[in-house]
Amino acid sequence: MNLLELRDLSVHYRGARGEVTAVRSVSLGLEAGETLGLAGESGCGKSTVAMSVLRLLPRDARVEGQVLLDGEDVRGMSWGRLRAVRWAAASVVFQGAMHALNPVHRVGEQIAEPMRLHGVTGSASSSSVSSSVSALLDQVELPARTARAYPHELSGGQKQRVMIAMALACEPRLVIADEPTTALDVVVQAQVLDLLKRLVSERDIGLVMISHDLSVLASTCDRLAVMQHGQIVEEGPARQVIAAPTHPHTQTLAAAFPTVGDPASRHVTASDTSTGPVLLRAEGVRVDYGTTTAVAGVDLEVRAGEIVALVGQSGSGKTTLARTLLGLQRPTAGRVLFEGAELPRSASGLRAYRRQVQLVLQDPTSALNPRHSVYEAVAEGLRIHRIAGDEPTQVAEALSHAELRPPERFFPSLPHELSGGQRQRVVIAGALALGPRLLIADEPVASLDASVRGEILALLLRLRRELDLAALVITHDLGLAWTIADRVAVMYQGELVEQGTVEQVLLAPRHDYTRTLLAAVPQHQGSTRPDQLSVELRLPPHRLLG
Amino acid sequence: MTAIVWQRRRAAARATWREFAARRGGLAGLIGLAVITLLALLAPLVTDVSGLDVTRATARPWQPPSAEYWLGTDHNGRSVLLLTWWGTRVSLVVGLAATVLSVLIGTVVGIAAAHFGGWASAVLMRFTDFFLVLPSMVLAIALSTVLPRGLGTIVLAIGVTAWPATARLVRAQTLAVEARPFIERAQALGGGHGHVIGRHVLPAVLPLVFVNTTLTVASAIVLESTLSFLGLGDPTRVSWGSLLHAANVHGAVSQRAWWFLVPPGLGVVCVVLAFTLCGRALETVLNPRLKGER
Amino acid sequence: MIRHLAGKLGGALVSLLFVVALGFVLFRVIPGDPVVAMTRGRPVTGDQLAELRVRLGVDKPLPEQFVDYLTAVLRGDLGTSHVYNRPVAELIGERLWPTVLLVGTSTVLAVALGLWLGIRGAWRRGSRSDRISTGLALAQWAMPTFWLGMLLSLATGNLFPSGGMRYPDTPPDFLSQALDVAHHMVLPCLTLIAVVYAQYLLVMRSSLLEEMHADYLTTARAKGLRDDLVRRRHAVPNALLPTVTLVFLHLGLVVSGAITVETVFSWPGLGLLTYEALTGPDLPLLQGTFVLLSGAVISMNVFADLLYRVLDPRVRAS
Repeated sequence: MNLLELRDLSVHYRGARGEVTAVRSVSLGLEAGETLGLAGESGCGKSTVAMSVLRLLPRDARVEGQVLLDGEDVRGMSWGRLRAVRWAAASVVFQGAMHALNPVHRVGEQIAEPMRLHGVTGSASSSSVSSSVSALLDQVELPARTARAYPHELSGGQKQRVMIAMALACEPRLVIADEPTTALDVVVQAQVLDLLKRLVSERDIGLVMISHDLSVLASTCDRLAVMQHGQIVEEGPARQVIAAPTHPHTQTLAAAFPTVGDPASRHVTASDTSTGPVLLRAEGVRVDYGTTTAVAGVDLEVRAGEIVALVGQSGSGKTTLARTLLGLQRPTAGRVLFEGAELPRSASGLRAYRRQVQLVLQDPTSALNPRHSVYEAVAEGLRIHRIAGDEPTQVAEALSHAELRPPERFFPSLPHELSGGQRQRVVIAGALALGPRLLIADEPVASLDASVRGEILALLLRLRRELDLAALVITHDLGLAWTIADRVAVMYQGELVEQGTVEQVLLAPRHDYTRTLLAAVPQHQGSTRPDQLSVELRLPPHRLLG
Repeated sequence: MTAIVWQRRRAAARATWREFAARRGGLAGLIGLAVITLLALLAPLVTDVSGLDVTRATARPWQPPSAEYWLGTDHNGRSVLLLTWWGTRVSLVVGLAATVLSVLIGTVVGIAAAHFGGWASAVLMRFTDFFLVLPSMVLAIALSTVLPRGLGTIVLAIGVTAWPATARLVRAQTLAVEARPFIERAQALGGGHGHVIGRHVLPAVLPLVFVNTTLTVASAIVLESTLSFLGLGDPTRVSWGSLLHAANVHGAVSQRAWWFLVPPGLGVVCVVLAFTLCGRALETVLNPRLKGER
Repeated sequence: MIRHLAGKLGGALVSLLFVVALGFVLFRVIPGDPVVAMTRGRPVTGDQLAELRVRLGVDKPLPEQFVDYLTAVLRGDLGTSHVYNRPVAELIGERLWPTVLLVGTSTVLAVALGLWLGIRGAWRRGSRSDRISTGLALAQWAMPTFWLGMLLSLATGNLFPSGGMRYPDTPPDFLSQALDVAHHMVLPCLTLIAVVYAQYLLVMRSSLLEEMHADYLTTARAKGLRDDLVRRRHAVPNALLPTVTLVFLHLGLVVSGAITVETVFSWPGLGLLTYEALTGPDLPLLQGTFVLLSGAVISMNVFADLLYRVLDPRVRAS
């Protein structure tokens, strides 16, 4: 008998505008010791499927079909039976451990709570409970004293481990992990994925892994199901689904996570590479916040028409460096030169500089004022700089450059009426309206769905080709650097530890840290990936995990 | 281009109105306010001011309600209905004027404290915090005792004691807005302080200020009635608070003169409740975070 | 933690000094000549005015007055009431305990009632009982305290004493005295509770509603907890934290309530003393009650802030 079996599961939400179907006739099975990956973009219904297993959906949800847990239909259970099954038979590692843990209880208590509730053997005495908690923490490679900590005292990776320990507290046979590594750094992500894999094989549990990131699933799952619009569009052995996707949606998803070193996913040819004059140069730039140093002496160059990727984990200082290059943050030491002249300090001088160098932010949803229409958002820069000329024409031109056509159709739209990719195009159009020479893009695709990432990256490449627009792309994603950059600079603890052409840095890394980053990228083709992280990291934990 | 903008704004206003009208409490409050305002405006047209003059009062004092005097008479033999009706005007005017004053101070201080940062903002915030915990009534009593009696004093006393709550709210909202990446985008586009405040902060803060205004009017009216009840109001004008002051001083409770006690107090309750209901409904409509919760 | 404590206490000290200074500005600077303000409407001769000026020390230049005033306040000397012709500090000392008794009792009861109803309302939001209790709270919040007091007194007739704190002819033994005070306290206490509890109800309700969508509640449900355990163990403790601060922040409201309630029921506390001072106007006395009441509310807020630090682990750490 299957551990978990979904038969013809459909979920509808009653909304203000009638019923919305989130999940349509999904059928899936999972055996003990098996890992099933559920892939899809945001809003495809994958989390709804997860929540329906323990009947945790909000009250306005209507469920059809069967959810069989060890052969028993969850939908038919009485409240008492359901409470007994929850956590004891199946548990959940929730998305965003930050919010899924109660902030005012010690994590030890939170792990012990379900043990006491479900009367796990030996939970009668408090000493045996605390020893079980220590054992669970040990399993997830955390010291026993972690039990005394409050959630806010732990890093993101540590919280995720606590969530996993909590999920194992009642020794369930089924664990559902909903985006367990989203919001974690690549290195930490690799550690958490390894941990999950080990637990599955040691404990013979069934694991359902939900993620938008195919590469994450590829490295952990036996089987893979891809969802789109509430339906499963492709299902099969993980390796096969990723290596030879048959459904177009799966193909798009797979393409969005390029493999470093794969020539097919590199979109830059040698002829593109520019040897233009130096546009922007940072010399020994250093930024201190009080006693902490965010940027510790950086030298960096961007030439005209060149795309440079600045790669690093969160907390490496890459965003601070970007703000400094834009003149939004004054360096503590060193200087920034644009076309050989030092960045002006006066308000009017900086304003003039902003016509040359523009910013594209990570999350277009929050980068656009929700009250401003597309027209106002794009015209904002024109109005600030009082640029002469016919405003509507200029706005229309910028929008067409960003491939929003016909531009007039988008004029009155508000950001919430657009898709994520369209919003990012509006942000880019707003920057283009000023006719800059250089774009500084801070994680330009990190918050976008996989299928639109490629389009935005293609847009950056096309703008370079057509407008000779240089770009400094800040990212944590080595695959992105591989796809579009001419040169790569790797940032670590406020310093640039390595820079050079993409081929040099990513195919023949010289610095240990670059190798660690490369090793942590989930690989799905063959076994090119080293078994262990070969490099001993010298990072203080808060830096690494923050 | 502006045509599109205006079209949008009209549509947004219509949508807000529809949502507001769907809330029974808010709608009831609004209707109540409209009726009360109308009554206050009509008072000089349909009634005779001379009825307020003590020297011309002819009726017997402390009369219970009758056909002639629907709400009875006070200790001077004046009609309680007439007094309460005219009291509406002073209570509303003082409440609104004091609110405008306090919301103005609060908004300016709040935005300044959040936007500019640095030590000046720290001092400003300390100052706000100090006034926030200071019991506003005690301060208002002190102010209206030492200043000459009059409507202006009452307005000033309420205005300068009620602003810190607005300042804090506006400051929090400004900080929240300024933490959003679109502010950074505006700065990267070259926008200065004026641009950021005018185009991004103010439009985002104003709905909240508006909600806060309706709620502040409610407390300002209560504060006005309390100060007048303590005898600190304008002695030459009739307000609900001063009526209750007279009732208390002349022993309406021991005379069991409920008709002198109930109408002015009920007036306060109705106006305050109407403003509060409106404010809460507006809050739910304009603050998306609260939608569907209250 | 210790640095924070020191910072908070230092800030509180600055605030208290500020209150004292504000007292000076309000009662010595703004009135121009305080003596004229105090004797307004009474026939006085120039000699009497001059004598009063010397007695109050207002004949000296302002900076000198301020120094005199500050040193006096720091010594605990709040000046002399010219209506009672007794030291203000002594008068305040006499009137302090009745107010503490009244405000303390009603605050405790109002907090308990408000929090209980607020939790119930949020958990079953939109239900009939929630709508009724919220509506009632709003209506009571809209009522001027003194008006409610007068209505209660009117409605209960002779059931409760209409004013004062005890009858003069009550036997001096403790039990009879206590019962007599309790009997006198029923109406003022009820009035104060009725107006104040609504604040706590609304704050608790919205604070809990905000927590209701928190992810950790889903975690708790997924663990198999019963609904009331989810509420008691997870939702309420979190929602209670912001409420604690607000309870103390609203103490200023209780104080204003006390002033009018004591006036209506002639309860011999600081509120009634304030009323007596403002009708005088007896500026030294009013200045004394102003400094004391404001200082008390500020101190309670510092206390709340410290309490919050003890209760909330998130703040405790930072």
